[in-house]
Amino acid sequence: MKIGIPRALMFYRYYPFLKSFLEEYGCEVQPSPPTNLKMLGEGTDICVDDVCVAVKVLFGHVAQLAGKVDTILIPRLVSVERRGYDTFTCPKLIAAPDMIRYSFPHLPAPLEFIVDISRMPWWWSCLRLARQLKLPLRGFPRTYGAAMQEQGRFDALLHRGLLPAEALAKIANGNGSPPPAYLSERDVTVAVVGHPYLLGDPIVNKRLVHWLDMSGARVLGSTMLTKEDLDAEESVLPPLSWSYEKELMAAASIFLKRDDVDGVIYLTSFGCGPDSLVTEMVRRELKPTGDQVLLELVLDEHSAESGVRTRAEAFVDLLRHRMRTRAGAGRAR
Amino acid sequence: MKVAFPHMGNAYIPLKALVEYMGVEAVVPERPNYRTLERGARHAPEFVCLPFKITLGDCMNALENGADTMAMVCGMWACRFGYYAYVQHLILRDLGYEFDSLLIGREDPRAVLEKICSVVGRRGLLRLPGAFAMLRAKAGAVDELEGLARKIRPREEAPGSTDALMEVYLAKLDAAASLRGVKELRLEQREAMSALPSHGPNGTLRVRIVGELYVLLEPSLNLELVKRLGTQFGVEAQPVLSTYRWLLSSLWLDPLLHVSSSRARRVSRTYLPYVLGGEEHMTITGTLDAPGDGFDGVIHAYPLTCMPENICRTILPHISRENDIPMLDLCFDEHTSTVGMMTRLEAFIEMLSSRRKNKP
Repeated sequence: MKIGIPRALMFYRYYPFLKSFLEEYGCEVQPSPPTNLKMLGEGTDICVDDVCVAVKVLFGHVAQLAGKVDTILIPRLVSVERRGYDTFTCPKLIAAPDMIRYSFPHLPAPLEFIVDISRMPWWWSCLRLARQLKLPLRGFPRTYGAAMQEQGRFDALLHRGLLPAEALAKIANGNGSPPPAYLSERDVTVAVVGHPYLLGDPIVNKRLVHWLDMSGARVLGSTMLTKEDLDAEESVLPPLSWSYEKELMAAASIFLKRDDVDGVIYLTSFGCGPDSLVTEMVRRELKPTGDQVLLELVLDEHSAESGVRTRAEAFVDLLRHRMRTRAGAGRAR
Repeated sequence: MKVAFPHMGNAYIPLKALVEYMGVEAVVPERPNYRTLERGARHAPEFVCLPFKITLGDCMNALENGADTMAMVCGMWACRFGYYAYVQHLILRDLGYEFDSLLIGREDPRAVLEKICSVVGRRGLLRLPGAFAMLRAKAGAVDELEGLARKIRPREEAPGSTDALMEVYLAKLDAAASLRGVKELRLEQREAMSALPSHGPNGTLRVRIVGELYVLLEPSLNLELVKRLGTQFGVEAQPVLSTYRWLLSSLWLDPLLHVSSSRARRVSRTYLPYVLGGEEHMTITGTLDAPGDGFDGVIHAYPLTCMPENICRTILPHISRENDIPMLDLCFDEHTSTVGMMTRLEAFIEMLSSRRKNKP
């Protein structure tokens, strides 16, 4: 059986696990190719107008997979953590399989892989997926263990500072490739906070990381922070039930306090529901203390590479200028 | 303490009654209009949904009219609505307004009760049941009045007579001070409304309006969609949601509402198995039921970037095809113009009437 996994949304978080889990069971896993402009255009055509660009990209990827695979797997992420209060992800992640089912009526319905950690553990969701695919349950513990290990390797790469796209490539190609240049020590450090699907897709973020790298900045991504780092920050944040956005807000708070970070870029996509309010909370509640600069960068399907490039270059220039004037002021004293 | 709460349609009448029955002064700013929206949009985040922007402008109006406590319902849902008050109050404080927040649903209920207690006193709390009875009575009366107007407006002889009469009775209801007074007014308004000169009920097109709560209920946001359909097109428009429903079901004052809402959840489950935090179940079920309830078409109205309604929008064309019910999507934002909306409505209504004529 050939299972297609669209390279969008939660692909950049759980793909290594799903691939390993399904392949151990003998299924063939076919990820969609990396996003290109044609797929972005196609997704925009099929999808409703005013959702975020990431969801439109998902539509483009599903259109790409149509006819090439037996079935499609889109995780339905209802909640991803267990807390004393209700937690959710974005409504679009909760209903992504439904949106796909009704927008592509000629395709078989996507597989139901429901992740609802506040009600059932992760392994139970996986067990249900295996049952749905009529896979034997005998090998489940071994398969599950192997998949968790694979996910652990991916997470370790992320925590070392690799951004989702590079970490995925490294897992696929083995350990030969040298570490990316944006990780090396430089005079300016920029932290980029954003959803993994924005950070990981160069067509969506218009190669922001590349342009920062070219301007000579060291780039840290919010994906490099561990769950423990983020949880430790929770007490300073307002209560939020969107788990992923809470992580982003915690990441912004951490980076805005770190001495080795000169500037923070908060990356969002136009029409992102939770982020429209969370960016406002970041701006007003986590006011930069004076040492750092906060830039909000909003992306949509019309964003152009030249625009993002100009912003990235100007931002790094600004950070350098600040450092110089500060050093000058220090000398004058 | 001078309490203010954001406007939503005619919800200010029962809410004001509730606050005043408790012995607290209520500040009701002017009805929202395009200036309110403009003010709100200037300070609100760029791509937040429209109700946020207009209620922010409304809060500013209220604070300038002397309110010192802003009350709003909040929650921790997947929909953005639960965070409105929190973020709005951050913005308002940054703008330099000084006030107390009464975040109902977000703060500990005991803390809210204590805050009320500190103003009205422990004895004052005894008035709560009476205040809720008043809220219920007025909400019921307003709902009935709106229902009658929706029925009669498309058939009125003198254009605008229904709305003029409705304004009179809304003002009377707002001024009514006792339960008995509200009851009498209810009887009176029923008679007065049915006495309006109108032609017979035959041939009126009926349209159901589904979508996001605030856009459905606030005439300044939906550019008086219901009224325009009635007076200018002679079409009876029935929204699936009402202020009565919203106020009373969240306060658990009318169990029947829960029966219909849980039915809506059950019916919509085939399309959307998970709760998204908005009115998506009412949108889906309302559209599914529309042909059976005798409607000729469905209008789906929602604010730009509304998450639950956008998801519904991917599903609704499918339902519309399967059940053979025409539908029109109207997406509202601060740039939506009356002319654009009217053109689309005109075409839609034209299509509905020719469909009805050609029906065997």
